Amino acid sequence: MKRPVVPLLVIVAGTVLAGLAPLVMPPFSVRLGQLVLFYGGLAVAWNILGGFAGYRSFGNTAFIGIGAFTAGLLQPYLQGLQPLAGFVAGLVAGISACMVVSGLLAYPILRLRGAFFAIATLGVAHVCAELTNNIDAFQGAMGLTFPEIVPFDWEPRIFFYELYLAAAVITLLIAWFIKNSRFGYGLLAIREDEDTARMLGVPTERFKALALVISAGLTGGFGVIFANSLGYITTNSVYRDDTSLNLIVYCLLGGVGTLFGPVIGTILLVLLIQLVLGNLLDFHLFATGLLLVVLVLVAPDGVLGVIRKWRLKRRLAALEQA
Amino acid sequence: MTEAPILRVDALTRRFRGLVAINDLSFSVRAGSITSVIGPNGAGKSTLFNLITGYLRPSAGDVFFHEKRITGMSTDRIAAGGVARAFQIARPFRDLTVEENIRIGALFGKHGPRDVPATVSRALRLTGLQALQDEHTSALTVGQLRQLEVARAVATRADMLLADEPCAGLNPAETAHMIDVLRQVRDGGVTVLLVEHDMPAVMRVSDRIVVLDAGNKIAEGSPDEIATNPRVIAAYLGTPDPMT
Amino acid sequence: MFSAAFDADGFTEGGPADGSDRAAGRMNLLLQTLLDGLVLGGIYALSAVGFSLIFGVLHVLNLSHGILVLAGAYLAFALSKALHIDPLLTTPMVMAALFAIGYCFQRYLIQYAVDRSQLGSMLLTFGVALMMENALVWGFSPDMHSLTPSWAFSPLRLHGLTLDPVRLVALLTSLVLLGVLTIVLQRTSLGRIIRATAQQTLAARLCGVDVQNVFALTFAVSAAFAGASGIIIGMVLPFSPSDEGLWTLNAFVVVTLGGVGSPGGALLGGLLLGLVYTLTAQYIGPAFPNATMFLILVVMLMVRPNGLLGNAFAGSR
Repeated sequence: MKRPVVPLLVIVAGTVLAGLAPLVMPPFSVRLGQLVLFYGGLAVAWNILGGFAGYRSFGNTAFIGIGAFTAGLLQPYLQGLQPLAGFVAGLVAGISACMVVSGLLAYPILRLRGAFFAIATLGVAHVCAELTNNIDAFQGAMGLTFPEIVPFDWEPRIFFYELYLAAAVITLLIAWFIKNSRFGYGLLAIREDEDTARMLGVPTERFKALALVISAGLTGGFGVIFANSLGYITTNSVYRDDTSLNLIVYCLLGGVGTLFGPVIGTILLVLLIQLVLGNLLDFHLFATGLLLVVLVLVAPDGVLGVIRKWRLKRRLAALEQA
Repeated sequence: MTEAPILRVDALTRRFRGLVAINDLSFSVRAGSITSVIGPNGAGKSTLFNLITGYLRPSAGDVFFHEKRITGMSTDRIAAGGVARAFQIARPFRDLTVEENIRIGALFGKHGPRDVPATVSRALRLTGLQALQDEHTSALTVGQLRQLEVARAVATRADMLLADEPCAGLNPAETAHMIDVLRQVRDGGVTVLLVEHDMPAVMRVSDRIVVLDAGNKIAEGSPDEIATNPRVIAAYLGTPDPMT
Repeated sequence: MFSAAFDADGFTEGGPADGSDRAAGRMNLLLQTLLDGLVLGGIYALSAVGFSLIFGVLHVLNLSHGILVLAGAYLAFALSKALHIDPLLTTPMVMAALFAIGYCFQRYLIQYAVDRSQLGSMLLTFGVALMMENALVWGFSPDMHSLTPSWAFSPLRLHGLTLDPVRLVALLTSLVLLGVLTIVLQRTSLGRIIRATAQQTLAARLCGVDVQNVFALTFAVSAAFAGASGIIIGMVLPFSPSDEGLWTLNAFVVVTLGGVGSPGGALLGGLLLGLVYTLTAQYIGPAFPNATMFLILVVMLMVRPNGLLGNAFAGSR
């Protein structure tokens, strides 16, 4: 299939710029960059199921948690390895665990649509968190520690920045590939009208499950990196409802179902919240909620949606004149 | 010379609670024909389409496509096997353009993602939608949406097209265009199974007609035979059935 | 996260002290667990009935429902402190206040998202829930609070079963309020208009019903009952601002189990949820009530998507 090259060029150029940026950025900005890349990558991963296929998960934090805890529980068995090799092993294990769990969940929860799917995913996240916290083997209440993995004498801040960048770029490339593939068109058809998609021969069950598994695996990968960058995790530090919600807000703001919408939304919102409200920690929840309300009322299709609608309106007007 | 039929419905029955929507129905469709299913409202025509496409499961009986049993298969597998459907109430993918709608048909269906651009442009040409290919579906008229349904179904390169009242609500010119398109579809080697209320259109275009009433087959034959069949006339005019 | 407070405060203790007769002890433990489940179930039912009504009439999944429940609890807390009265006595005031708040909330905010996608109203109410949770933290701190009635004297013991009068009153109040709501819906003209609008919104509009007003009134009634349930919850359990998600989820589960739109469905769903909760906590382990509940929820959604009693407004879909 012919794929548009411009988005690819944008991704490559963005990667080079972002990769070199830490050389000149002050420490605070590097940390801000980490946040943007972490949430941006998560939002792009959410968008693969939520935007392309229209199945909006309210519980993606489940896979951050599963990824993080899988990697963490594996650490004691990896002590013979080089720290970096241990990290890679944890990454592979975390991603695999998320793919297996989501694969098992796919059949029951992807039969639910719309609001029911949303609530079911929220429930999955809560249950995972509760089990992690209450079953002693998972050590969610006590917490898990991760070894230092930064090689040579890299600045840890910059090391994790580049790690997040790599993960975000891989996620974005996967999303770009999917969006312009037969699979991507199948997901689009599912989002628009699932019954009609099936009538056209789209294997809806398989495609939805695959989208969920890919989205969950990528999310789990970010969870592992996040856990390593924290160094110590508990249930409450990785299973966070507000993370699930933030992802939706970023995608909504940028434009659900578009390639770059989630990235744009994340940059706008993270910068806004961190720079404008940086000193008002008590205010974050309120600000997120307020933004959500304003978004739904003013621009339900996001920034890119507003632009597209404006273009469509002009086209229609031109058609009527002709 | 009995050539194997492309579609064979065998003793098909579907009940909804107490109501029998399709009762012990058997008929076959010859490959390369336009076969119409007619009958008064509530005769079971839509149920029949839903049963063939796997959208509903029959209470009893079987459907064979190319002599292969497809009863109980999922809708997408049946579609990928070569059965396409055009809905009566057009169901375009609303946020997509005409071309993207048709492309989704071409990417899936029987032959998968091969020759997609050629298939799309053939479907556009067939239905006369070339000029509108980059438009969003919201800019289309009812007649154009109906053509889009057919174009998208044809783009799946199905062996058989189920057309559900493609002429309902169209003006005479649009109806003539639709009939012309259906003929071209058949001449291109695709069998057409048609449900339609517009009797003159059915009589003109059909090779064979099956008449349903209250879930039962009451007649089957060429358009001429059907036009003079007393049971059909009775069913349509609502007089008591002369056979009972 | 789901609250585990029920295990901590002796809710499922019981059985004879001497332990001489183990079979009788086991029997008593079962009865005690069932009894606790019923009390909990009554509370769940009342806390969910408003959510159910809003879903049935407006087709809105109100994710700020938990906030309305907590608002009732905090309002009762503040009022009983200020006026030096028993928290239960603040019920009429709390219900009136939440009625007014609910009316305005729907009329001037949610209404703008109702006609859009279901996701729109969900996100809107989720946003409001986050804002209000934050506001509750400012007003009352993130710590646990509880409402202690002045008459909270010692538990009654009956054949080895323990029943705390506070819980008994909680259950009875829940049942009475559910009964009142049933009568309102079935016997009053407001109830008739609400049911008519739920079944045929367009037809009701054509008959001259001010649908927006009915929606707002439905929301107001729902909010009032959510607030009342908050008071009862506050008497039995400690509460904090971060519980709001828990009560929204509980309401969703209750509605999924029982069916949409009727107090009867909420009661059935609530009792089932209460029993599942206490039985799982007692016999499988305190870590599992929510996992079990979620499993039941998913199975229910797949097998009987309209709940055990179906949709009370079946004509509406």
